[in-house]
Amino acid sequence: MSILAVTHLSLTLQDQHILKNISLSVEEGDVVGLIGPNGSGKTTLFNVLSGFLVPTHGSVHFRGQDITGFSPSKRAHMGIGRVFQNFGIFREMTLEENVLVALEALPAEQRKALGNLKEVVQGTLEMVGLSGHAKKKAGSLSGGQMRLLEIARTLKSGKELFLLDEPTAGVAPKMTHQVGDLISELKRDRKTVLIIEHDLPFISRVCDRVIVLNVGEVVLDGKPSEVKQHRKLQEIYFGADPTS
Amino acid sequence: MDFFLHLVVTIGLWIPISMGYTLLFGKGQVMHFGPIGVSVACGYAIFVTLGATGSYIAGIAMGILVGTAVSLIFAWLALRLENDGLGVMSIAVHLAAMVIVLNWTDVTRGALGIPRIPRMPFLETLPMFALAVTLASLFWIALFVWADRSALGRQMQALSESESFAKAMGVSRAKVHTIAFVLLGLAIVSDNVFFAQYIHLLHPNDYHFPTFIFLLAIVVAGKPGSMVGAVLSSILLVLLREGLRFIDLPISVLGPMRLLLFGVILLTAVYVRRDTLFPQKRTV
Repeated sequence: MSILAVTHLSLTLQDQHILKNISLSVEEGDVVGLIGPNGSGKTTLFNVLSGFLVPTHGSVHFRGQDITGFSPSKRAHMGIGRVFQNFGIFREMTLEENVLVALEALPAEQRKALGNLKEVVQGTLEMVGLSGHAKKKAGSLSGGQMRLLEIARTLKSGKELFLLDEPTAGVAPKMTHQVGDLISELKRDRKTVLIIEHDLPFISRVCDRVIVLNVGEVVLDGKPSEVKQHRKLQEIYFGADPTS
Repeated sequence: MDFFLHLVVTIGLWIPISMGYTLLFGKGQVMHFGPIGVSVACGYAIFVTLGATGSYIAGIAMGILVGTAVSLIFAWLALRLENDGLGVMSIAVHLAAMVIVLNWTDVTRGALGIPRIPRMPFLETLPMFALAVTLASLFWIALFVWADRSALGRQMQALSESESFAKAMGVSRAKVHTIAFVLLGLAIVSDNVFFAQYIHLLHPNDYHFPTFIFLLAIVVAGKPGSMVGAVLSSILLVLLREGLRFIDLPISVLGPMRLLLFGVILLTAVYVRRDTLFPQKRTV
Protein backbone atom coordinates (compact mmCIF):
# COMPACT_ATOMS: atom_id res chain seq x y z
CA MET A 1 0.00 0.00 0.00
CA SER A 2 1.19 3.55 -0.77
CA ILE A 3 2.20 5.60 2.25
CA LEU A 4 0.80 8.71 0.56
CA ALA A 5 -1.98 8.90 -2.01
CA VAL A 6 -3.24 12.13 -3.51
CA THR A 7 -6.40 11.79 -5.58
CA HIS A 8 -7.84 14.38 -8.00
CA LEU A 9 -6.59 17.21 -5.82
CA SER A 10 -7.49 20.75 -6.83
CA LEU A 11 -7.10 24.04 -5.05
CA THR A 12 -8.62 27.37 -6.01
CA LEU A 13 -7.62 30.51 -4.13
CA GLN A 14 -9.21 33.86 -5.00
CA ASP A 15 -10.46 32.50 -8.34
CA GLN A 16 -6.95 31.30 -9.23
CA HIS A 17 -6.62 27.58 -9.96
CA ILE A 18 -3.39 26.88 -8.10
CA LEU A 19 -3.53 23.07 -8.21
CA LYS A 20 -5.41 21.21 -10.95
CA ASN A 21 -6.55 17.64 -10.57
CA ILE A 22 -3.32 16.26 -9.13
CA SER A 23 -3.14 12.53 -8.52
CA LEU A 24 -0.01 10.79 -7.32
CA SER A 25 1.03 8.07 -4.94
CA VAL A 26 4.28 7.50 -3.09
CA GLU A 27 5.52 4.12 -1.84
CA GLU A 28 7.10 3.66 1.55
CA GLY A 29 10.86 4.23 1.49
CA ASP A 30 10.83 6.20 -1.77
CA VAL A 31 12.69 9.46 -2.19
CA VAL A 32 10.72 11.55 -4.65
CA GLY A 33 11.76 14.89 -6.10
CA LEU A 34 9.17 17.53 -6.92
CA ILE A 35 10.42 20.05 -9.44
CA GLY A 36 8.96 22.78 -11.59
CA PRO A 37 9.35 26.48 -12.31
CA ASN A 38 8.45 29.14 -9.76
CA GLY A 39 4.68 29.43 -9.32
CA SER A 40 4.01 25.88 -10.48
CA GLY A 41 2.36 24.99 -7.14
CA LYS A 42 5.06 22.90 -5.43
CA THR A 43 5.01 24.63 -2.05
CA THR A 44 1.22 24.96 -2.24
CA LEU A 45 1.02 21.20 -2.71
CA PHE A 46 3.21 20.77 0.39
CA ASN A 47 0.92 23.16 2.29
CA VAL A 48 -2.04 20.96 1.35
CA LEU A 49 -0.18 17.76 2.29
CA SER A 50 0.82 19.16 5.68
CA GLY A 51 -2.63 20.59 6.43
CA PHE A 52 -2.07 24.34 6.11
CA LEU A 53 -4.45 24.54 3.15
CA VAL A 54 -7.65 22.60 2.57
CA PRO A 55 -8.13 21.47 -1.05
CA THR A 56 -11.17 22.60 -3.00
CA HIS A 57 -11.58 19.08 -4.43
CA GLY A 58 -9.91 15.72 -4.01
CA SER A 59 -8.39 13.87 -1.11
CA VAL A 60 -5.13 13.05 0.65
CA HIS A 61 -4.62 9.59 2.19
CA PHE A 62 -1.76 8.75 4.54
CA ARG A 63 -1.24 5.05 5.27
CA GLY A 64 -4.72 4.41 3.88
CA GLN A 65 -6.44 6.95 6.12
CA ASP A 66 -8.20 9.97 4.67
CA ILE A 67 -6.45 12.97 6.26
CA THR A 68 -7.85 15.67 3.96
CA GLY A 69 -9.51 17.63 6.78
CA PHE A 70 -6.88 17.00 9.45
CA SER A 71 -5.02 19.87 11.12
CA PRO A 72 -1.24 20.28 10.70
CA SER A 73 -0.59 19.18 14.29
CA LYS A 74 -2.73 16.06 13.90
CA ARG A 75 -0.84 15.16 10.71
CA ALA A 76 2.44 15.71 12.56
CA HIS A 77 1.28 13.30 15.27
CA MET A 78 0.50 10.73 12.55
CA GLY A 79 4.08 10.93 11.26
CA ILE A 80 4.18 13.64 8.61
CA GLY A 81 7.17 15.95 9.07
CA ARG A 82 7.74 19.20 7.25
CA VAL A 83 11.02 21.01 6.66
CA PHE A 84 10.40 24.58 5.55
CA GLN A 85 12.02 26.56 2.76
CA ASN A 86 12.64 29.51 5.10
CA PHE A 87 14.18 27.40 7.92
CA GLY A 88 11.57 26.13 10.38
CA ILE A 89 13.85 26.80 13.30
CA PHE A 90 12.92 28.88 16.33
CA ARG A 91 15.74 31.38 16.23
CA GLU A 92 15.14 32.87 19.69
CA MET A 93 15.31 29.44 21.33
CA THR A 94 18.44 27.41 22.03
CA LEU A 95 19.34 24.39 19.90
CA GLU A 96 18.41 22.14 22.82
CA GLU A 97 14.99 23.80 23.15
CA ASN A 98 14.44 23.55 19.39
CA VAL A 99 14.75 19.77 19.55
CA LEU A 100 12.91 19.46 22.88
CA VAL A 101 9.88 21.36 21.62
CA ALA A 102 9.51 18.86 18.76
CA LEU A 103 9.82 15.85 21.07
CA GLU A 104 7.45 17.27 23.67
CA ALA A 105 4.80 17.88 21.01
CA LEU A 106 4.54 14.14 20.35
CA PRO A 107 1.55 12.19 21.70
CA ALA A 108 2.24 10.81 25.21
CA GLU A 109 2.85 7.18 24.12
CA GLN A 110 5.35 8.16 21.45
CA ARG A 111 7.11 10.48 23.86
CA LYS A 112 7.39 7.78 26.50
CA ALA A 113 8.75 5.32 23.94
CA LEU A 114 11.65 7.70 23.25
CA GLY A 115 12.92 7.32 26.83
CA ASN A 116 15.02 10.10 28.33
CA LEU A 117 14.34 13.20 26.22
CA LYS A 118 17.58 14.91 27.26
CA GLU A 119 19.53 11.97 25.85
CA VAL A 120 17.51 12.08 22.62
CA VAL A 121 18.26 15.81 22.32
CA GLN A 122 21.96 15.15 22.87
CA GLY A 123 21.89 12.36 20.28
CA THR A 124 20.13 14.60 17.76
CA LEU A 125 22.68 17.38 18.16
CA GLU A 126 25.57 14.90 17.96
CA MET A 127 24.10 13.47 14.76
CA VAL A 128 24.59 16.82 13.01
CA GLY A 129 27.78 17.83 14.81
CA LEU A 130 26.17 20.53 16.94
CA SER A 131 26.40 18.97 20.40
CA GLY A 132 28.84 21.65 21.54
CA HIS A 133 26.31 24.39 20.80
CA ALA A 134 23.30 23.05 22.74
CA LYS A 135 22.83 26.22 24.78
CA LYS A 136 23.37 28.64 21.88
CA LYS A 137 20.48 30.44 20.26
CA ALA A 138 19.50 28.75 16.99
CA GLY A 139 19.55 32.13 15.25
CA SER A 140 23.35 32.09 15.51
CA LEU A 141 23.66 29.01 13.25
CA SER A 142 24.57 29.11 9.57
CA GLY A 143 21.89 28.25 6.99
CA GLY A 144 23.36 24.77 6.49
CA GLN A 145 23.50 24.05 10.21
CA MET A 146 19.89 25.21 10.60
CA ARG A 147 18.83 22.89 7.80
CA LEU A 148 20.68 19.90 9.26
CA LEU A 149 19.20 20.60 12.69
CA GLU A 150 15.71 20.86 11.23
CA ILE A 151 15.97 17.57 9.34
CA ALA A 152 17.55 15.75 12.30
CA ARG A 153 14.89 17.11 14.66
CA THR A 154 12.15 15.89 12.32
CA LEU A 155 13.82 12.47 12.05
CA LYS A 156 14.26 12.05 15.81
CA SER A 157 10.65 12.97 16.47
CA GLY A 158 9.63 9.77 14.74
CA LYS A 159 8.27 11.08 11.46
CA GLU A 160 7.71 8.60 8.61
CA LEU A 161 7.01 10.95 5.71
CA PHE A 162 9.31 13.92 5.19
CA LEU A 163 8.25 16.93 3.15
CA LEU A 164 11.47 18.83 2.46
CA ASP A 165 10.94 22.23 0.85
CA GLU A 166 14.14 23.29 -0.90
CA PRO A 167 16.53 21.76 1.64
CA THR A 168 19.58 23.20 -0.11
CA ALA A 169 18.28 26.77 -0.40
CA GLY A 170 20.52 29.16 1.53
CA VAL A 171 22.98 26.36 2.26
CA ALA A 172 26.71 26.62 1.43
CA PRO A 173 27.91 24.12 -1.24
CA LYS A 174 29.95 22.16 1.30
CA MET A 175 26.92 21.76 3.55
CA THR A 176 24.73 20.75 0.58
CA HIS A 177 26.62 17.45 0.53
CA GLN A 178 25.92 16.95 4.21
CA VAL A 179 22.22 17.62 3.62
CA GLY A 180 22.33 15.08 0.76
CA ASP A 181 24.03 12.54 3.04
CA LEU A 182 21.36 13.07 5.70
CA ILE A 183 18.63 12.45 3.12
CA SER A 184 20.45 9.26 2.04
CA GLU A 185 20.43 8.24 5.69
CA LEU A 186 16.66 8.76 5.78
CA LYS A 187 16.41 6.49 2.75
CA ARG A 188 18.49 3.80 4.45
CA ASP A 189 16.10 4.00 7.43
CA ARG A 190 13.18 3.32 5.02
CA LYS A 191 11.74 6.80 5.55
CA THR A 192 9.69 8.29 2.72
CA VAL A 193 10.86 11.65 1.44
CA LEU A 194 9.32 14.23 -0.87
CA ILE A 195 11.75 16.97 -1.88
CA ILE A 196 11.05 20.26 -3.61
CA GLU A 197 14.28 21.38 -5.20
CA HIS A 198 15.64 23.50 -8.02
CA ASP A 199 19.07 21.90 -7.90
CA LEU A 200 18.71 19.17 -10.55
CA PRO A 201 22.08 17.46 -9.93
CA PHE A 202 21.11 17.22 -6.25
CA ILE A 203 17.73 15.74 -7.19
CA SER A 204 19.42 13.22 -9.52
CA ARG A 205 21.80 12.21 -6.74
CA VAL A 206 19.26 11.58 -3.97
CA CYS A 207 15.92 10.78 -5.63
CA ASP A 208 14.49 7.53 -7.02
CA ARG A 209 11.75 9.32 -8.88
CA VAL A 210 10.97 12.84 -10.06
CA ILE A 211 7.58 14.50 -10.49
CA VAL A 212 7.41 17.68 -12.56
CA LEU A 213 4.72 20.25 -11.84
CA ASN A 214 3.81 23.05 -14.20
CA VAL A 215 1.02 25.58 -13.71
CA GLY A 216 -0.54 23.42 -11.01
CA GLU A 217 -0.51 20.16 -12.99
CA VAL A 218 1.63 17.04 -12.95
CA VAL A 219 3.29 16.98 -16.37
CA LEU A 220 6.02 14.37 -15.92
CA ASP A 221 6.61 11.51 -13.53
CA GLY A 222 9.52 9.08 -13.82
CA LYS A 223 13.10 8.19 -13.02
CA PRO A 224 15.50 11.16 -12.75
CA SER A 225 17.49 10.03 -15.79
CA GLU A 226 14.33 9.79 -17.93
CA VAL A 227 12.81 13.06 -16.75
CA LYS A 228 16.08 14.96 -17.21
CA GLN A 229 16.21 14.01 -20.89
CA HIS A 230 12.53 14.62 -21.54
CA ARG A 231 11.70 17.27 -24.13
CA LYS A 232 8.81 18.56 -22.00
CA LEU A 233 11.16 19.48 -19.16
CA GLN A 234 13.28 21.53 -21.56
CA GLU A 235 10.14 23.26 -22.79
CA ILE A 236 8.98 24.08 -19.28
CA TYR A 237 12.28 25.56 -18.23
CA PHE A 238 13.42 27.14 -21.50
CA GLY A 239 10.10 27.93 -23.17
CA ALA A 240 10.78 25.85 -26.32
CA ASP A 241 12.63 22.75 -27.45
CA PRO A 242 16.28 23.98 -27.55
CA THR A 243 17.13 21.51 -30.31
CA SER A 244 14.42 22.80 -32.67
CA MET B 1 6.13 48.25 60.28
CA ASP B 2 2.52 48.41 59.11
CA PHE B 3 3.54 50.26 55.97
CA PHE B 4 6.19 47.62 55.26
CA LEU B 5 3.59 44.87 55.65
CA HIS B 6 1.24 46.85 53.42
CA LEU B 7 3.95 46.87 50.76
CA VAL B 8 4.46 43.12 51.19
CA VAL B 9 0.73 42.53 50.69
CA THR B 10 0.45 44.85 47.68
CA ILE B 11 3.50 43.38 45.97
CA GLY B 12 2.28 39.87 46.78
CA LEU B 13 -1.05 40.65 45.16
CA TRP B 14 0.51 41.93 41.92
CA ILE B 15 3.07 39.16 41.41
CA PRO B 16 0.71 36.25 40.46
CA ILE B 17 -1.31 38.22 37.89
CA SER B 18 1.87 39.77 36.45
CA MET B 19 3.53 36.38 36.01
CA GLY B 20 0.40 34.84 34.49
CA TYR B 21 0.05 37.78 32.16
CA THR B 22 3.69 37.76 31.09
CA LEU B 23 3.36 34.06 30.21
CA LEU B 24 0.37 34.73 27.97
CA PHE B 25 0.99 38.23 26.64
CA GLY B 26 4.77 38.38 26.93
CA LYS B 27 5.90 34.90 26.02
CA GLY B 28 2.90 33.82 23.96
CA GLN B 29 2.39 37.22 22.27
CA VAL B 30 -1.37 36.78 22.75
CA MET B 31 -2.99 40.23 22.65
CA HIS B 32 -5.28 39.60 25.59
CA PHE B 33 -6.20 43.00 27.06
CA GLY B 34 -8.93 41.65 29.30
CA PRO B 35 -7.27 40.24 32.45
CA ILE B 36 -8.91 42.94 34.57
CA GLY B 37 -12.23 41.94 32.98
CA VAL B 38 -11.57 38.40 34.26
CA SER B 39 -10.62 39.93 37.60
CA VAL B 40 -13.86 41.91 38.01
CA ALA B 41 -15.92 38.81 37.19
CA CYS B 42 -13.98 36.73 39.74
CA GLY B 43 -14.08 39.41 42.44
CA TYR B 44 -17.84 39.82 42.28
CA ALA B 45 -18.41 36.06 41.94
CA ILE B 46 -16.46 35.43 45.16
CA PHE B 47 -17.92 38.18 47.31
CA VAL B 48 -21.53 38.14 46.07
CA THR B 49 -21.52 34.39 46.83
CA LEU B 50 -19.92 35.08 50.20
CA GLY B 51 -22.63 37.63 50.95
CA ALA B 52 -25.38 35.22 49.93
CA THR B 53 -24.06 32.10 51.66
CA GLY B 54 -21.73 33.42 54.36
CA SER B 55 -19.25 30.75 53.29
CA TYR B 56 -15.77 31.57 52.02
CA ILE B 57 -15.44 28.05 50.62
CA ALA B 58 -18.54 28.62 48.49
CA GLY B 59 -17.24 32.05 47.46
CA ILE B 60 -13.83 30.73 46.43
CA ALA B 61 -15.41 27.79 44.59
CA MET B 62 -17.64 30.22 42.69
CA GLY B 63 -14.59 32.41 41.96
CA ILE B 64 -12.70 29.44 40.54
CA LEU B 65 -15.74 28.44 38.47
CA VAL B 66 -16.29 31.93 37.06
CA GLY B 67 -12.54 32.62 36.61
CA THR B 68 -12.11 29.38 34.67
CA ALA B 69 -15.26 29.96 32.62
CA VAL B 70 -14.33 33.53 31.63
CA SER B 71 -10.76 32.42 30.85
CA LEU B 72 -12.11 29.66 28.61
CA ILE B 73 -14.29 32.21 26.80
CA PHE B 74 -11.20 34.35 26.18
CA ALA B 75 -9.24 31.27 25.06
CA TRP B 76 -12.07 30.39 22.66
CA LEU B 77 -12.03 33.94 21.29
CA ALA B 78 -8.23 33.82 20.94
CA LEU B 79 -8.50 30.71 18.76
CA ARG B 80 -11.05 32.30 16.47
CA LEU B 81 -9.78 35.84 16.11
CA GLU B 82 -6.64 37.38 14.71
CA ASN B 83 -4.41 38.85 17.41
CA ASP B 84 -5.51 42.47 16.86
CA GLY B 85 -9.17 41.38 16.79
CA LEU B 86 -8.65 39.62 20.10
CA GLY B 87 -7.14 42.81 21.53
CA VAL B 88 -10.24 44.82 20.65
CA MET B 89 -12.64 42.06 21.71
CA SER B 90 -10.93 41.56 25.08
CA ILE B 91 -11.23 45.28 25.84
CA ALA B 92 -14.91 45.05 24.88
CA VAL B 93 -15.44 42.07 27.23
CA HIS B 94 -13.75 44.02 30.05
CA LEU B 95 -16.03 47.01 29.42
CA ALA B 96 -19.09 44.74 29.22
CA ALA B 97 -18.18 43.20 32.60
CA MET B 98 -17.88 46.72 34.07
CA VAL B 99 -21.26 47.73 32.62
CA ILE B 100 -22.87 44.67 34.20
CA VAL B 101 -21.23 45.36 37.58
CA LEU B 102 -22.23 49.02 37.54
CA ASN B 103 -25.81 48.43 36.43
CA TRP B 104 -26.86 45.19 38.08
CA THR B 105 -27.29 47.10 41.31
CA ASP B 106 -29.56 44.55 43.03
CA VAL B 107 -26.64 42.16 43.19
CA THR B 108 -23.51 44.31 42.97
CA ARG B 109 -24.69 47.59 44.55
CA GLY B 110 -23.38 49.31 41.40
CA ALA B 111 -20.98 52.21 41.89
CA LEU B 112 -21.22 51.88 45.67
CA GLY B 113 -19.39 48.57 45.67
CA ILE B 114 -19.71 45.94 48.38
CA PRO B 115 -18.50 47.28 51.75
CA ARG B 116 -17.64 45.63 55.08
CA ILE B 117 -16.15 42.52 53.58
CA PRO B 118 -15.04 40.34 56.49
CA ARG B 119 -11.62 38.73 56.59
CA MET B 120 -11.22 35.03 57.12
CA PRO B 121 -10.66 34.38 60.84
CA PHE B 122 -6.95 33.57 60.48
CA LEU B 123 -6.31 36.68 58.33
CA GLU B 124 -7.55 39.31 60.74
CA THR B 125 -4.14 40.68 61.75
CA LEU B 126 -1.92 42.42 59.23
CA PRO B 127 1.15 40.17 59.85
CA MET B 128 -0.98 37.06 59.27
CA PHE B 129 -2.48 38.62 56.15
CA ALA B 130 0.98 39.49 54.81
CA LEU B 131 2.18 35.96 55.57
CA ALA B 132 -0.78 34.39 53.76
CA VAL B 133 -0.35 36.64 50.70
CA THR B 134 3.40 35.92 50.66
CA LEU B 135 2.82 32.16 50.81
CA ALA B 136 0.23 32.37 48.03
CA SER B 137 2.60 34.51 46.00
CA LEU B 138 5.47 32.05 46.50
CA PHE B 139 3.20 29.24 45.31
CA TRP B 140 2.39 31.16 42.12
CA ILE B 141 6.04 32.10 41.57
CA ALA B 142 7.01 28.41 41.80
CA LEU B 143 4.15 27.38 39.52
CA PHE B 144 4.81 29.99 36.84
CA VAL B 145 8.59 29.47 36.87
CA TRP B 146 7.97 25.74 36.46
CA ALA B 147 5.43 26.37 33.68
CA ASP B 148 7.81 28.74 31.93
CA ARG B 149 10.64 26.19 31.95
CA SER B 150 8.41 23.25 31.04
CA ALA B 151 7.03 22.12 27.69
CA LEU B 152 4.25 24.69 28.11
CA GLY B 153 6.68 27.62 28.16
CA ARG B 154 8.67 26.29 25.21
CA GLN B 155 5.53 25.63 23.19
CA MET B 156 4.19 29.12 23.99
CA GLN B 157 7.42 30.62 22.71
CA ALA B 158 7.47 28.38 19.63
CA LEU B 159 3.89 29.38 18.78
CA SER B 160 4.69 33.05 19.19
CA GLU B 161 7.77 32.82 16.96
CA SER B 162 6.03 30.87 14.21
CA GLU B 163 2.66 29.27 14.62
CA SER B 164 3.08 27.38 11.35
CA PHE B 165 6.43 25.82 12.30
CA ALA B 166 5.10 24.88 15.74
CA LYS B 167 1.94 23.31 14.33
CA ALA B 168 3.96 21.36 11.76
CA MET B 169 5.81 19.76 14.67
CA GLY B 170 2.56 18.77 16.36
CA VAL B 171 2.16 21.63 18.84
CA SER B 172 -1.53 22.23 19.53
CA ARG B 173 -2.21 25.95 19.83
CA ALA B 174 -5.67 25.27 21.29
CA LYS B 175 -4.25 23.18 24.12
CA VAL B 176 -1.26 25.38 24.93
CA HIS B 177 -3.11 28.71 24.87
CA THR B 178 -6.11 27.35 26.80
CA ILE B 179 -3.81 26.15 29.61
CA ALA B 180 -2.10 29.57 29.72
CA PHE B 181 -5.45 31.42 29.83
CA VAL B 182 -6.73 29.18 32.64
CA LEU B 183 -3.49 29.51 34.66
CA LEU B 184 -3.77 33.30 34.41
CA GLY B 185 -7.46 33.08 35.37
CA LEU B 186 -6.67 31.03 38.48
CA ALA B 187 -3.90 33.44 39.52
CA ILE B 188 -6.48 36.23 39.20
CA VAL B 189 -8.92 34.29 41.42
CA SER B 190 -6.16 33.94 44.03
CA ASP B 191 -5.49 37.70 43.95
CA ASN B 192 -9.18 38.51 44.26
CA VAL B 193 -9.69 36.24 47.26
CA PHE B 194 -7.19 38.43 49.16
CA PHE B 195 -7.66 41.90 47.69
CA ALA B 196 -11.20 42.79 48.79
CA GLN B 197 -10.63 41.17 52.19
CA TYR B 198 -7.55 43.34 52.61
CA ILE B 199 -9.35 46.65 52.12
CA HIS B 200 -12.71 45.32 53.40
CA LEU B 201 -14.31 46.62 50.21
CA LEU B 202 -15.04 45.41 46.69
CA HIS B 203 -15.30 48.48 44.51
CA PRO B 204 -15.67 48.78 40.70
CA ASN B 205 -13.11 51.62 40.61
CA ASP B 206 -10.38 49.07 41.35
CA TYR B 207 -11.16 47.28 38.08
CA HIS B 208 -11.12 50.17 35.65
CA PHE B 209 -8.72 50.57 32.73
CA PRO B 210 -5.93 52.30 34.75
CA THR B 211 -5.51 49.04 36.70
CA PHE B 212 -4.83 47.28 33.42
CA ILE B 213 -2.36 50.00 32.39
CA PHE B 214 -0.47 49.37 35.63
CA LEU B 215 -0.40 45.61 34.93
CA LEU B 216 0.75 46.20 31.36
CA ALA B 217 3.46 48.57 32.59
CA ILE B 218 4.74 45.88 35.00
CA VAL B 219 4.90 43.23 32.28
CA VAL B 220 6.42 45.41 29.58
CA ALA B 221 8.94 47.11 31.88
CA GLY B 222 9.97 43.73 33.29
CA LYS B 223 10.64 42.39 29.75
CA PRO B 224 7.70 40.56 28.18
CA GLY B 225 7.93 36.82 28.79
CA SER B 226 10.42 37.08 31.64
CA MET B 227 9.22 35.60 34.93
CA VAL B 228 12.07 37.18 36.92
CA GLY B 229 11.33 40.48 35.17
CA ALA B 230 7.65 40.31 36.16
CA VAL B 231 8.53 39.75 39.81
CA LEU B 232 11.18 42.50 39.94
CA SER B 233 9.02 44.92 38.01
CA SER B 234 6.04 44.23 40.33
CA ILE B 235 8.24 45.10 43.31
CA LEU B 236 9.70 48.25 41.76
CA LEU B 237 6.49 49.68 40.32
CA VAL B 238 4.48 48.99 43.49
CA LEU B 239 7.22 50.69 45.53
CA LEU B 240 7.12 53.64 43.15
CA ARG B 241 3.33 53.86 43.26
CA GLU B 242 3.13 53.58 47.02
CA GLY B 243 6.05 56.00 47.41
CA LEU B 244 4.00 58.67 45.63
CA ARG B 245 1.73 58.77 48.68
CA PHE B 246 4.46 60.69 50.49
CA ILE B 247 4.43 63.55 47.99
CA ASP B 248 2.61 66.41 49.63
CA LEU B 249 -0.04 67.09 47.00
CA PRO B 250 -3.84 67.10 47.14
CA ILE B 251 -5.44 63.80 46.11
CA SER B 252 -7.13 65.54 43.16
CA VAL B 253 -3.67 66.21 41.70
CA LEU B 254 -1.91 63.08 42.90
CA GLY B 255 -4.44 60.70 41.27
CA PRO B 256 -4.07 62.03 37.70
CA MET B 257 -0.31 62.49 38.24
CA ARG B 258 0.03 58.84 39.14
CA LEU B 259 -1.90 57.82 36.01
CA LEU B 260 0.26 60.07 33.89
CA LEU B 261 3.44 58.64 35.41
CA PHE B 262 2.45 55.05 34.68
CA GLY B 263 1.33 56.05 31.20
CA VAL B 264 4.79 57.49 30.57
CA ILE B 265 6.46 54.39 32.06
CA LEU B 266 4.34 52.18 29.79
CA LEU B 267 5.09 54.22 26.67
CA THR B 268 8.82 54.26 27.44
CA ALA B 269 8.83 50.51 28.11
CA VAL B 270 6.91 49.82 24.89
CA TYR B 271 9.42 51.93 22.95
CA VAL B 272 12.41 50.21 24.52
CA ARG B 273 10.91 46.73 24.09
CA ARG B 274 9.34 47.30 20.66
CA ASP B 275 11.30 44.47 19.01
CA THR B 276 10.23 41.96 21.67
CA LEU B 277 6.64 43.15 21.76
CA PHE B 278 6.03 43.29 18.04
CA PRO B 279 8.44 40.81 16.42
CA GLN B 280 8.26 40.04 12.73
CA LYS B 281 6.00 37.01 12.29
CA ARG B 282 7.36 34.15 10.18
CA THR B 283 5.00 32.17 7.99
CA VAL B 284 5.21 29.27 5.56
